Amino acid sequence: MAGRLEPHLEALQRELRVSDPAVLSVLLALLVVAITLLIWRFVQGRRSGRRAVLLLGLCDAGKTLLFARLLTGKYRDTQTSITDSSAVYRVSNDKSANVTLIDLPGHESLRLQFLERFKAAARAIVFVVDSVAFQREVKDVAEFLYQVLVDNTVLKNAPALLIACNKQDVTMAKSAKLIQQQLEKELNTLRVTRSAAPTSLDGSATGGPAQLGKKGKDFDFSQLPMKVEFVECSARGSKGEDGDADFEGLEKWLAKVA
Amino acid sequence: MRLLRDAEESSKVRAPTVMKTFEQSLKSQKTVKCMIETRGEKPKEKVKNKKNKGSKKEGTEVVAAPGKASAGDKQPSTAGDREELTKDEILQKNREEFFKRHMKAGEKSSKSPKPEAQKEKGKKPRVWDLGNSNAKVLDYSNTATNGSAEACPIEEFDPNTALGDRNREPGRLYDLEYESDDEAEEEKVIQNPSKPSVKKGGLGGMFGMLKGLVGSKSLTREDMDPVLEKMKDHLIAKNVAAEIAVQLCESVAKKLEGKVMGTFTTVTSTVKQALQEALVQILQPQRRVDVLRDVMDAQRHRRPYVVTFCGVNGVGKSTNLAKISFWLIENGFSVLIAACDTFRAGAVEQLRTHTRRLNALHPPESHGGRTMVQLYEKGYGKDAAGIAMEAISYARNQGFDVVLVDTAGRMQDNAPLMTALAKLIAVNAPDLVLFVGEALVGNEAVDQLVKFNKALADHSMAQTPRLIDGIVLTKFDTIDDKVGAAISMTYITSKPIVFVGTGQTYCDLRSLNAKAVVAALMKA
Repeated sequence: MAGRLEPHLEALQRELRVSDPAVLSVLLALLVVAITLLIWRFVQGRRSGRRAVLLLGLCDAGKTLLFARLLTGKYRDTQTSITDSSAVYRVSNDKSANVTLIDLPGHESLRLQFLERFKAAARAIVFVVDSVAFQREVKDVAEFLYQVLVDNTVLKNAPALLIACNKQDVTMAKSAKLIQQQLEKELNTLRVTRSAAPTSLDGSATGGPAQLGKKGKDFDFSQLPMKVEFVECSARGSKGEDGDADFEGLEKWLAKVA
Repeated sequence: MRLLRDAEESSKVRAPTVMKTFEQSLKSQKTVKCMIETRGEKPKEKVKNKKNKGSKKEGTEVVAAPGKASAGDKQPSTAGDREELTKDEILQKNREEFFKRHMKAGEKSSKSPKPEAQKEKGKKPRVWDLGNSNAKVLDYSNTATNGSAEACPIEEFDPNTALGDRNREPGRLYDLEYESDDEAEEEKVIQNPSKPSVKKGGLGGMFGMLKGLVGSKSLTREDMDPVLEKMKDHLIAKNVAAEIAVQLCESVAKKLEGKVMGTFTTVTSTVKQALQEALVQILQPQRRVDVLRDVMDAQRHRRPYVVTFCGVNGVGKSTNLAKISFWLIENGFSVLIAACDTFRAGAVEQLRTHTRRLNALHPPESHGGRTMVQLYEKGYGKDAAGIAMEAISYARNQGFDVVLVDTAGRMQDNAPLMTALAKLIAVNAPDLVLFVGEALVGNEAVDQLVKFNKALADHSMAQTPRLIDGIVLTKFDTIDDKVGAAISMTYITSKPIVFVGTGQTYCDLRSLNAKAVVAALMKA
């Protein structure tokens, strides 16, 4: 191979020397531009990569407080978010890895909009669930979770999913195991009803929404293409506003993901 | 000739009679004794009769003019006590007795106003007791105007302003100037300066792009206005209601004001992007209505899931009801159709035909021996709310999963029909109230939905009235890409479009794909 290339190269060099130096300079310039473009694309790709951890959940689940606690460690009075907040979170151990935490609003009219914007950049998703109001809201929680899970981008990238059962400091909070069981049951029903819904207008959408899990078998979180974990945490912390938040599980998982 | 004269006199309208003075009236001629109440009810009635007798007397006098008499009679009788109206016979008896007693006095008094009335044929000016009946004192008009030679007194007469535009040719009749022409002129005037600015903007846009590479440009209102105008016209051309389009563009302008544009982006693309996001957000409103999930819930509680269809005439309620019942049967739920359209001819027969067809498609044998669809009807002319209530209790007894209630089409301005619909919904408390609207409707959609919601809210007794929960958009196959009606309807109610009807067969039922609709809307 090399032998065949060399005579070609020599022929090229001879031609170049013979012809105008202008042509040579033009060729060089083009080469430089091509290399710059390649480097630029490489750098951009690396920079914008998937380095975001999204905090999703229903309204009043505790996402913004969790966000504040993770970043500053202090308690903060929060309001219903109407826009996203993002910040770089440095993992506690000395790995010097950092992820961008993005706190998205949970309100029904806003959540899908922000999810659309940030789902492509998601490396991992933290789905915050209010363990106290879970019994009442189980249908809404399952519906939002279903919407996140059947999203095409999410299915393609398969970011790691952590379901954080928040508000464990309250005595009436449900355990993570119970929440897992309930969610599985609800998602099982949902995928039947959603796939039975009348087909979309233009008939595309690849023949209806994607099938979640395996057909014929009851839905299980292990059937998903991504890794799903359940963790209990409390953004407020057992000691109230002065103490620290109880989320070692969350931090460990973040360290793993980063 | 004499007959003719008599007839003319008798048909002449008599002059208004002068009010009798007290001496002339019958009351002064009555004895005090007969007015004392000695017995129980009889004298009371007599007293009551005497109250009305004044005007009644006049009424009986003018027997020749029957219309007047009836008017005179009716007025006091309606003004008087209600008891008297019901005791008409007693009245008559008492009247006869009374007239017998006071015939003499009555004749006297009846005769006296008659000649007076005949005397005063012409109109006599009203004489006020208190003031001077001096016409001269009351005359405030200028003495000089009448009959004076000058056209106007000492006013300034400016011929220029009176004649108006001197440039007009004398004697030529100009066309009526319509207001729209003025507006068109104004638009042209506005557009002309904007055109050169656009041209400048073209060059400036190129530099702006280069500038965008280096620095950052923030959006101002003036930059966005021409683009927004164009987008608004585009939306209106796509059958979005005019007021909705205006409001949408306003909100997009407010959202984008002061925003810093990124590199390589033009104003048009930013505005289009923002508008697209806003439209997608409108079409995906809050809670998605999942009918199957809710039916399963109701099944667990052993009660039927009630869906009511309402809308104006001719939008496709019955057709889409049949489509939805087909879809429900396919998913294994049994359906009871309540024919609460008791007005339109053939409504019940239409639903019966649908029921028969659906049962033919899904025979009971293939569903474990139970009929999947049944029709509950009580014929025509009955009260719709009552039929609905009976249908729901029948469904509960027989174990049907879903009840679909078909109502008659009604215009939103028809107050009694809107009341009837509101009563049906308030009394039966359905789980889902679906408004059926056709995709062909334009600006009317806004009016329809607002009035329907208002009627439902006004006539409901509850704290939180049941309003429209979802929209069924029908006849979607008749519009190519003029899908603006979807936007108008969801914007007004902020409720989702649950189903879309795209044809006449049972399979033509779709769910809304927000992105596709918005793409069709934004397409040039």
